[in-house]
Amino acid sequence: MAQTINTEVTRVDARRKVTGTASYAADSIPAGMLHGALACTAVAMGRIAGIDTARAEAEPGVVAVFTHETLPDYKTVKGFYAGGPGSASFWPMEGTEIRYAGQPFAYVVAETAAAARRGADLIAVRYEEDAAQIHMDPGESFIIGAGEDSEGMTLTKGDIEAGLGAAAQTVEATYRTPFQHHNPMEMFAATAEWRGEQLTVWMPSQSVRTLRGGIAKAYGLPETSVRVLSPFVGGAFGSKAGVTPYAMLTIAAARAVGAPVRLIVTRPQMYTVATFRPETEQKFRLGADADGKLTAFEHVEIAQTSRFDDVVNPGTHMTRSMYACPNIHTEQRLARSDTNSGGFMRAPNEMQTFFGLESAMDELAWKLGMDPVELRRVNDTNRHPVKDVPFSSRSLMESYDAVSRSFGWADRGREVGSMTDGDWLVGYGCATATYPTNMSPSSARVRMQGSGHAYVELAAHDVGTGSYTIFAQIAAAQLGLPVEAVDVVMGEADLPLAPIAGGSTTAASSGSAVHIACTNIARGVAEKVAAQKDGPLAGLDPAQITLENGVLKGPGGESQSLAEALASTPMGEIEAEGQYRHPALTDKALRMTYHGGYGVAGPVTPEMAMFAFGAQMAEVHVHRYTHEIRVPRLHGAFAAGTWLNRKTAHSQLMGGMVWGLGSALHEITEVDTPRARFLNANIAEYLIPVNADVRELRVEMLEERDDYVNPLGVKGIGELGIVGTAAAVGNAVYHATGKRLTAIPMRISDIVSA
Amino acid sequence: MKPFEYLRAADRGTARRDAAMPAAAYIAGGTNLLDLMKLEVMQPERLVDINRLDMKSVETTGEGGLRIGALVTNSDLAAHETVIADYPLLSRALLAGASGQLRNKATTGGNLLQRTRCYYFYDTAMACNKRDPGSGCAAIGGATRLHAILGASAQCIATHPSDMAVAMLALDAEVEIEEESGETRRIPLREFHTLPGDTPHIETVLPQGALITAVHLPAPAGGTQIYRKVRDRASYAFALVSIAARVTLEDGKIAQVALAFGGVAHKPWRDPEVEKALIGKAPSRALFDTAADILLADARGQGDNDFKIPLVRRTLRAVLTEATGGAG
Repeated sequence: MAQTINTEVTRVDARRKVTGTASYAADSIPAGMLHGALACTAVAMGRIAGIDTARAEAEPGVVAVFTHETLPDYKTVKGFYAGGPGSASFWPMEGTEIRYAGQPFAYVVAETAAAARRGADLIAVRYEEDAAQIHMDPGESFIIGAGEDSEGMTLTKGDIEAGLGAAAQTVEATYRTPFQHHNPMEMFAATAEWRGEQLTVWMPSQSVRTLRGGIAKAYGLPETSVRVLSPFVGGAFGSKAGVTPYAMLTIAAARAVGAPVRLIVTRPQMYTVATFRPETEQKFRLGADADGKLTAFEHVEIAQTSRFDDVVNPGTHMTRSMYACPNIHTEQRLARSDTNSGGFMRAPNEMQTFFGLESAMDELAWKLGMDPVELRRVNDTNRHPVKDVPFSSRSLMESYDAVSRSFGWADRGREVGSMTDGDWLVGYGCATATYPTNMSPSSARVRMQGSGHAYVELAAHDVGTGSYTIFAQIAAAQLGLPVEAVDVVMGEADLPLAPIAGGSTTAASSGSAVHIACTNIARGVAEKVAAQKDGPLAGLDPAQITLENGVLKGPGGESQSLAEALASTPMGEIEAEGQYRHPALTDKALRMTYHGGYGVAGPVTPEMAMFAFGAQMAEVHVHRYTHEIRVPRLHGAFAAGTWLNRKTAHSQLMGGMVWGLGSALHEITEVDTPRARFLNANIAEYLIPVNADVRELRVEMLEERDDYVNPLGVKGIGELGIVGTAAAVGNAVYHATGKRLTAIPMRISDIVSA
Repeated sequence: MKPFEYLRAADRGTARRDAAMPAAAYIAGGTNLLDLMKLEVMQPERLVDINRLDMKSVETTGEGGLRIGALVTNSDLAAHETVIADYPLLSRALLAGASGQLRNKATTGGNLLQRTRCYYFYDTAMACNKRDPGSGCAAIGGATRLHAILGASAQCIATHPSDMAVAMLALDAEVEIEEESGETRRIPLREFHTLPGDTPHIETVLPQGALITAVHLPAPAGGTQIYRKVRDRASYAFALVSIAARVTLEDGKIAQVALAFGGVAHKPWRDPEVEKALIGKAPSRALFDTAADILLADARGQGDNDFKIPLVRRTLRAVLTEATGGAG
């Protein structure tokens, strides 16, 4: 069988993307299309007292101006955190109420995008403004899931105070992480076209089924009347998962003007009309005996949320899965402030919490006088610390050992401030990476022609990660075809069920469905030729018949071409579906996925705990005079089951580490506290790493076999590379300077002030 | 974006005449102006495109200096042989600014007129005396990490974002302009930019309709030249603090020194008292700190930017240590 898995395969859509022939959602322009634009509030809290649209309506090219009073047939859906598909529970333009800065209050339709934008700027609005608070007050936080058993958000095992009392060393520390915004290159966009009661929506999406289901339900239409198309996605990172106001406003506006309408949200508006990563506080109390074994593990996460949703991304679930400890207490808390609802942003539960946990572990190692790698080794465990089930595979220390070798960990100075390079203070730091392996149900349909060409169809998404390529590889491997002979069709809600492109589930879950569908095809063809009355393979055991390069072969060298084998089938082809469901997936989770929700098995099933692991090491230079922080070396080693495509997997992990570096040093949505407004709402002032920041970055991909997670043994890797980077950098800053930075991003000003 | 009239000037006289009309603005590289127009921070009704004017050359002057045409791009100027050889801090400052793509478009004249990167100036929902005179300053009491520590006023605490202008200030550059009348004159760069005072919307002494035609650099003064830009991101970020330094040592003492500072004020900052305190002295850490004391005597933080005061001191120490061979 052709070796197409665990090899380096260039993206099948690479040429289309770099030559501009890959058609993104907003590239589709239905005949007669008009342009939409949003007008958004200057104030964060209060009411619309009056809107004057006269000047906007008089602007040449403006077709219509809609406000909360004039937009007919505008529908909304329930928010995600209330069990619905929406990006938030509060919907703008249903009334006069203003709940966050930059809230849409009018929608302009015009003949050109420029006229629509200009029209939006010409709307005069009067506010009754109330005071607003944008930062959470951790002192006002409330607990989530208190009193429930260990399935819940909040958990106690053993006696935390006794564990702290028995400890030789303890660490008590609080770490802070800021508001962040996703900033995908491709802007938020929606194009809606109504033909009678048939609606087509083109929109970059991480979940076309969520979108279709939500829209259909809101309008009382059968799902077959709503088409949702999202062929390529130019980055999403969690920001394009839900049904958003900008989409529903565009759909309503298109219906009202009787013409297709396309809205492209402006970059500054992207900071307010959808979700973001909420700011958090991570409070830890750790205790360890003289050998470093944890005796107490307490983690309280306080995350910001809106007034109208409980945006809870339970990071303590991840931290308490990490190290062996007899006494564990975790709390998941929220604190409200006046923003739109946050949501998930790449490694939504892990980036913040592992900055905290892995910084605290480093503090503990220094207190104990231990090598921080050895502290992780002492506390490594092959059973889940809370659920007491085995890990299906866990290559944490293999990762540490590999990255230690490549990085030269043993060569570090043992004391703080013991290494320099000219005017630069040098430090080394390490941290653990982990990401849960969540298995969604998925289906796929595969059609193979006698000519040896196959088509794979499923309602999955390629958000820039390489899904088109890996599904082609999986199919090619199973059908004995070259990768180029497989076409993959995705990003359309009418195709077979596939999950949200989130939680690093797509490759493992939908990949399993593709694998099963192709297995069914290969078996189907073998059974067909074996059942022939005559023919070279007639009467053979189908299990002994292989399919390679369009030829079916028997154990004795008998052969028949695929074309011949399929000649008598309708259209000369064979089709099969594959349906994947992890054995531990509950019926409830399955139903949730049918309706466009996020239903998964794992990471902890009744039998096993499923996580991917890795280890990161950073060399940090801090300038003696100016305190600039630079990271000349960043190494990571990761194990995540089978590597489907070594090239795109490497890119995912490397991209994750760059993302983590951004969280460590750059990324923050600056906030104006008096007016409760996000400030640096553009990619000139919202800093992320540029090439000059990423110097030596090395990714090592370890071999790992896991037969439990899914038929291909694959764990998701879209987010793994982010986790731990910020702590590794911060720990290296401490090693270089003796200054413990407890908030990200870590910037010049923090060292000057520390 | 507000609709505007576009005029392409064929000669300087036409350009000046067109630009003298109300609400007119010159456009050259447009790297800043177009962004601001899209956001309606600036709303010119008439754009006078000067890109076809003959102001793209760099020439040696009779005084042994350099005359840099206003339309010379940042990329071309940074790569110019004479600039690299005789004014290296200018080349380094240019390369420390923006990105390759922006430097290919941005011009010498336009760079001098760059607007501030103050978040509040960019957000039309915020009060800003610079954008909308008399509306107030929302930055004061807001997020001030990037703001001025020197020369700010109760009406504006914005900083000037240019690297090039800081370098040129240390090089005693002069700005050559043509007035609306056609008269040509030169303004020393140190007098070109203004402090905010009560009129932060006025940023230079350039009269309405006047055209920047060139920047003059005096004959090379030699010395050790350094441009040090301090920022959180290694490239493509504005300076938290920058220092352009030109230092000549004779007999172990500082014979000549020019120091210009970026990221600290509404204009590129130069303080003759600081230079006076250094001249004739042997370099030492104590001397550098004395210079910093003079420079920062009136420095005032806004809260978030308090760190800039020690940062300027520390960066000055680094720059003077490097320029004088390690005395700090």
